[in-house]
Amino acid sequence: MDEKTLAAIDRLLPQVEKPARYIGGEMNADIKERAKETAAFAFCFPDSYEVAMSHLGMKILYHILNKQPDMLCERVMMPWVDMSDLLKKEGIPLFSLESRTALYDFDVVGFTLQYEMSFTNVLEMLSLGGIPVLSAQRGEEMPIVIAGGPCAFNPEPLACFIDAFVMGDAEKAIVEVTRLIKRMRLENKPRKDILLALSQIEGCYVPSLYEVTYHEDGTLSSFKPTNDQAPSKIRKRLELDLEHLDYPDAIPVPFTEIVHDRVSLEIMRGCTRGCRFCQAGMLYRPVRERSPERLVELAQKLIKATGYEEMSLSSLSSGDYGQLAELIRELMLRFADKKVSLSLPSMRVDSLLKESLEQVREVKKSGLTLAPEAATQRLRDVINKGISEEDIRRSVSDAFQSGWSSVKLYFMNGLPTETEEDLIAYGDMARLVIDAYHQVPKGQRSPGLRISLSSSTFVPKAFTPFQWDAQDTLETIKHKQKILRDVLKIKGVSFNWSEPELSHLEACIARGDRRMGKVIYRAWQLGCKMDGWREFFKYDLWMQAFEDCHLDPAFYANRERAGDEILPWDFVDIGVTKKYLWLERERSLLGIVTPDCRNGCDGCGLTRFEGACVS
Amino acid sequence: MKMLCVFSVTDRLKYIGHLDLMRAMQRALRRSGLPIRFSQGFNPHILLSFAAPLSVGMEGMREVMEIPIEGDVSPEMFVEILNQSLPALIRCQSARLVEDSSPAPMSQLWAANFSILPLEYQDEIMAAVPVLLSKTSIPAMRKSKKGMVEIDLRPLIHNVLVKDNSIQALLALHSSGTCKPDLFIKALSQCAGLEAPVPCKVTRKALYTQQFSPLEDM
Repeated sequence: MDEKTLAAIDRLLPQVEKPARYIGGEMNADIKERAKETAAFAFCFPDSYEVAMSHLGMKILYHILNKQPDMLCERVMMPWVDMSDLLKKEGIPLFSLESRTALYDFDVVGFTLQYEMSFTNVLEMLSLGGIPVLSAQRGEEMPIVIAGGPCAFNPEPLACFIDAFVMGDAEKAIVEVTRLIKRMRLENKPRKDILLALSQIEGCYVPSLYEVTYHEDGTLSSFKPTNDQAPSKIRKRLELDLEHLDYPDAIPVPFTEIVHDRVSLEIMRGCTRGCRFCQAGMLYRPVRERSPERLVELAQKLIKATGYEEMSLSSLSSGDYGQLAELIRELMLRFADKKVSLSLPSMRVDSLLKESLEQVREVKKSGLTLAPEAATQRLRDVINKGISEEDIRRSVSDAFQSGWSSVKLYFMNGLPTETEEDLIAYGDMARLVIDAYHQVPKGQRSPGLRISLSSSTFVPKAFTPFQWDAQDTLETIKHKQKILRDVLKIKGVSFNWSEPELSHLEACIARGDRRMGKVIYRAWQLGCKMDGWREFFKYDLWMQAFEDCHLDPAFYANRERAGDEILPWDFVDIGVTKKYLWLERERSLLGIVTPDCRNGCDGCGLTRFEGACVS
Repeated sequence: MKMLCVFSVTDRLKYIGHLDLMRAMQRALRRSGLPIRFSQGFNPHILLSFAAPLSVGMEGMREVMEIPIEGDVSPEMFVEILNQSLPALIRCQSARLVEDSSPAPMSQLWAANFSILPLEYQDEIMAAVPVLLSKTSIPAMRKSKKGMVEIDLRPLIHNVLVKDNSIQALLALHSSGTCKPDLFIKALSQCAGLEAPVPCKVTRKALYTQQFSPLEDM
């Protein structure tokens, strides 16, 4: 940017609440020289700095892109409302943290889509960055706008804003895509040629090359390519060899406090438990582990490069990691004298090892988090959460005996087939924990029992066995939350629930089709942004946007789909087949549990991917 | 022993807060592998001691902090290794070994020298300097724990020099009296007949003891 604009930025920063969000300059942030041939990639995270810097995927891809001699990657986050207002007022384009380059000045602008409620932020960032929000209106000189992450698996709601989506593991794909774009831009190839070339890369979806038609009732009647070179099915990218896949050995260390301020070590990817509500569990199959040796090596490098005092083991189900006890023991051994504490998130109730629990406590004692998801065995069978009441009792008992005194329990309300009985059972669950605490003798247990129960509203997601199901109506959700509040009026127990309107809207967008893009666009025009933040969420404006676009939110959120309906995301092959998901749905309604496929293939469809699921 | 260090925080990093700077120092020291003494207890940390917090938006050229160490390391080596672990815009300039019993820098701090560069109304502000200094009392309102209190800035302004386009102000900075640069700028702007305080680029150049010798030499 020119000197005048840079000086203007300097005048803005003292006026905003947390200027440290916009300055970069952190330890391990990469500032690379940009030559004419350098492919410049803006990694965009459509949420605040604090959320963005807590995200592991961004750190992995930032590291990989900056490692390429012919590329550079800089970070751009959604500015807080005070900053975006000032940028607009002063006419300063949204800029990257590292070199303060305007967003429109990059070759590739890549968004990571972690959450449906950040979609309006994608539009806002493009607009602030001087890039036309609609893909069709972008001129030849404009960057190519791409997107990935879990929400890219149903790309249709963002089809008119994003030039190309990359589905699945991005470690290699992002380099291929970036290199191709830069080469063709240097050759002055027209935009449409670049997009067509991108469509030939595995895992890459270019929405402008496809056409959708609808039945009178609003359901899809067809989805097909308009160009005979574009593939009719998009297969996700799958990296099988996690062990040799690039992983950062240094990550930027923020100055200001962020949500997860620690080293996070991805010990494995994928989960084969088969919880029927869980989208990530289906999207990221099969399970792939890194070896304990590789992890210890990475952990040591990361701690040395960052100076962090805390490290977490990250995966969808860390308790299932093959050599967990060995890994923890080895890490504790290396870090005991360096004063680094270890935390284990996403621990599943039934895989808690008493031994590991005690080891974790040696360094730092934090609360125990369990996710039974449903309070009755019947409903847990429906969602295939293979945990018994006995498992939960044993886990909390072990924890209390080892000196823990704070327990968090996560649930979902509004799951398919849920009845009042399932809600009343929340109270039994809380009492079970209280009893387990009191059974440990007074001298042995830590004082001050704290139990917190959280219940989020179930949002049916694409690529799960519940993708055909209706979400509870707002009225039903509110009624159920009232029952829960009454049931959980128990001393020492705190209860949190999610905002029903937010879950309702999330359900609309999560299973939206291409027309949902109009609603998102309209809502953004009406002033919606930062929807994931309670203080900025404007439900009324969203409802107005639906009305203005002549679309019914209930069609997306509260409608049960027929088995033969073409779903907007059917063209994406995630490995797990639609047929398998339907079978799982039928089993679910019968209360039949599907065992973890590590103990025998269940035919989900992933074996069609070469090299997947071979032991 | 303790290592008494002089360091600078410049450019964009003037926007990080005091706690952010403390954390950044802690992590740099952990990265460095230098023989640092940790606190005892459940969450061991480094007992860093800063002479005075730096306000957000202000660069610091010769800030002072003290780091408890254990084991052998020369000050020269300490500076070199620490700089390898610090973000580029925080630099350690020098260090000196002192006894554990030597007083904390904060307790010896008396005043600080600021460079103040008005970004607007330069002429009016420069002309107002002698007017302000000729006053025998300069009443101002300062935020305190008990709410707003009235103080007299005049005895807290030790010296002011006008050089080119900037003002060098030596202002009191200790527990019994402090004149923050923003109060000084406000008073100066009022003297110049301006309604709002003029926006200025402020840099803290150095910290001093009661004898007006550099704090790091105490």
